[in-house]
Amino acid sequence: MMTEMLDCDAVMRQLWDYLDGELTPDREEAVRAHLVVCNRCHPQHDFEQSFLRALSASRREHSRPDAIKARVLATLRADGFAA
Amino acid sequence: MPWNQEPLKRLIRKVIGASPDPRTPDERFRDEALPHLPAVTRFALSLTRDESDAEDLVQETYLKAFRAWDQFVPGSECRAWLFTICRNTHFRTSRREQRVVAHEDAELEALGAAALHTAAQADGLDDVFARTEVMEAVRAAVDALPDPFREVVVLVDLEEQSYEDAARILEIPKGTVRSRLFRGRRLLQERLIKHARDAGLGAGKTPEIMRKGTSNDD
Repeated sequence: MMTEMLDCDAVMRQLWDYLDGELTPDREEAVRAHLVVCNRCHPQHDFEQSFLRALSASRREHSRPDAIKARVLATLRADGFAA
Repeated sequence: MPWNQEPLKRLIRKVIGASPDPRTPDERFRDEALPHLPAVTRFALSLTRDESDAEDLVQETYLKAFRAWDQFVPGSECRAWLFTICRNTHFRTSRREQRVVAHEDAELEALGAAALHTAAQADGLDDVFARTEVMEAVRAAVDALPDPFREVVVLVDLEEQSYEDAARILEIPKGTVRSRLFRGRRLLQERLIKHARDAGLGAGKTPEIMRKGTSNDD
């Protein structure tokens, strides 16, 4: 089956869905095929991808995870949790 | 989209009846719900933006989850179920009404992101998000997002939930998840590019006209 040909505008509109893995396999392949050959869309893709990586890496953990776990377990046990 | 679990639950009860799980319900809770404690804590922290409030919220979430454990559908996404309880508990206790967001066109937002990239390129900020010094700015920008955008960004971009799971957790249509997510990302990028520009991070590539102005060639 031939991969669908997409223009830059169509690719830009679907870039987030593509990066999020939310496109159908056919559509994903069509976007990928365009990105490989397009020197306008490819830098855009890399830019958005680095943004999503930074965002994912900005995840913040609580400073007292052990205290939270102990407190949750104590609360559950007081409520009958037995495991 | 409301998530009607009843038919699935009936089916699962039938199947479970045929081959019962050897574990007690408490043991299943220990094995399936407790491992998500770090993720639920992060989510609570992102909702409350305060460590002590997050701690209270996590405690209440787990207590509610434990008491409602018989309503959890075995085999479904336990993390998403816990996020749902956490979020509902938060908005109930804080009594905050979510601001109604006007319908946004997700694809226009996607095109807006493309325009932002062009602007960043012009400022020599192509690699801005790959720099470690923007990390704190990223956190601050996420914290500053209005709630409807922040919770979608946190679920999808930080906690790696699919659009579908985020829609279930937030009890909004998938299309709304998508448009809020894209809008939230655009707001973040605008803020971060402005931050980088103000901090002089793009100064490595001084625009041609300024270089001419400081040149000693003549």
